[in-house]
Amino acid sequence: MREKKLGLHAFMALPAFALYSIFFLYPLVKGIGMSLTDWDGISKAAFIGFDNFTAFFQDKRALNDIRTTLLFAVGSAPLLNIVGLGYALLMDSKIKGKGTARMIIYLPAIISPLIMGYIWYLLLQPGRGFIYHVLDNMGKGSWFGNWTSGYTTSMMVLVLVNVWQYAGMTMVIYLAGLQAIPGELYEAAKMDGASSLGRFRYVTIPLLIPSIRINIVTNIIGSLSVFDIVMSLTGGGPGYSTETLSIYIMRMCYGSKTGYSTAVAIIMFFIILVPVLISMRLTRTKAMD
Amino acid sequence: MKRAANLFRYLCIALICMLCLIPFLFLLILSLNTPKRVFYEGNMFVPDFYFNNYVEGWMKSNIGTAMVNSAVITILAISIIVILGAMAAYTIARFHYRFNKLIFGILISCMMIPGIINTVPLYTLMIDIRAIDTLWGMALVCATIALPQSVFVFHGYIKALPREIEESAIIDGCSWFSSFWRIIFPLLKPSISAIVILNGFGIWNNYSQAVFFLQDSKKHNVPQALSVYFQQFAGAKWNLMAATAMIAIIPVIVAFLLFQKNLIKGLTDGALKG
Repeated sequence: MREKKLGLHAFMALPAFALYSIFFLYPLVKGIGMSLTDWDGISKAAFIGFDNFTAFFQDKRALNDIRTTLLFAVGSAPLLNIVGLGYALLMDSKIKGKGTARMIIYLPAIISPLIMGYIWYLLLQPGRGFIYHVLDNMGKGSWFGNWTSGYTTSMMVLVLVNVWQYAGMTMVIYLAGLQAIPGELYEAAKMDGASSLGRFRYVTIPLLIPSIRINIVTNIIGSLSVFDIVMSLTGGGPGYSTETLSIYIMRMCYGSKTGYSTAVAIIMFFIILVPVLISMRLTRTKAMD
Repeated sequence: MKRAANLFRYLCIALICMLCLIPFLFLLILSLNTPKRVFYEGNMFVPDFYFNNYVEGWMKSNIGTAMVNSAVITILAISIIVILGAMAAYTIARFHYRFNKLIFGILISCMMIPGIINTVPLYTLMIDIRAIDTLWGMALVCATIALPQSVFVFHGYIKALPREIEESAIIDGCSWFSSFWRIIFPLLKPSISAIVILNGFGIWNNYSQAVFFLQDSKKHNVPQALSVYFQQFAGAKWNLMAATAMIAIIPVIVAFLLFQKNLIKGLTDGALKG
């Protein structure tokens, strides 16, 4: 066949692959090597085996960063999906102004999460920010505390701001999934006597699996590698308590612990990989096999 | 009963929309207050219309240069993603050579790895090739991170195009390579807009790579410039910070309003096929 003849068309994937190899695959492999050394970024590196990895699991700050990262993800990923699906169910009907509403709800997601963090930092200022003033005008000023000064409240603020920012993104994906479900299916289920809850459970949810899968996987990856919003809202504080693994990697790299920071990155890779694989397995449908 | 349910639905949606807009409204109010006014003293809904914050924020921060830098990085990176991604997707979708399958497999399995995982070794590489503090270096990094997804989206789209489209051109003596550029590439417009939308805002807003690769203040992008400016002023000039944040988000909001029709479509097309 003519097309089998090798021509330029056969090599069209090479430029993309070359770029990917240089800026992604090569550093990935190099990182594995670096993680086994004590390199500080300047002087000669010495091979130290798995010392970086054992050091990581003995470092209190590092272990706390794992806890913070996991807590943030455990709070964010389910909440984002619940809120996003709720929004999508509300919007999935013939209502006026749907396009405008969808646009407004999506708006926060296009803003830099770093800037969004700063904006909420301003609005949450104790005794001066707008949330304090809203509460104060209702006579409940005492409800407001310095929320970014304690661990629990800081984590709640971080999760809620993240959910506030990205619920629109999750919603848009769910909405597209909902609109792809044929109306006849609901009619048929109704004829068979299914209640509205039954229709949701046996028609909507199964047919929404592809959207659920995308949203869950994206949200797990996104929340476990969170960086920007924490940098601007709490800066990892108070102390290092709300520091996440990505921030730790950056700070260790700046702190001339280059080898060590690549070891942390490898650990972080597995922390992300495991829940992603589990959730992909759980949301596998017959059609994908 | 049905009317009541509908009314409830409208009410909920209106409340959600308010929830999304109020922070921006209060940022705007804060940005227009004089430095002397402690945040929202008095009637919190009426600002002082003190535009000097904007002038001062623009002059003292590096935000103007940063916007140009962000624009250059975004345009460069998007062009690379679209051109290299579409080319790769075409040969992978049409010709089942073993190395095409291998390349596709590698790209797809690495798609899920977030950029932070290899940032440190990449940082040392960037120093070696003198790409630190260069816009082209940052553009290449951003393009690389987005490349697998773009190949994936283009691949799905090209696979759905019938082969007959190019075959007539091939019979007329056109090569597969040039028939891609002449016939297929122009047909890719919908997925190109999906790619631009899926990645454009993210590259413009990139911070976790910029923090490593753009340290020189002349090369800062928007989030970097803002964060440096805020760290110098933090603790004091809230109104100035609010005004500078407004300056930083206005271009993004304008772009969003211009593209919003394509945006939702592009997002869902890109994501659901991806």
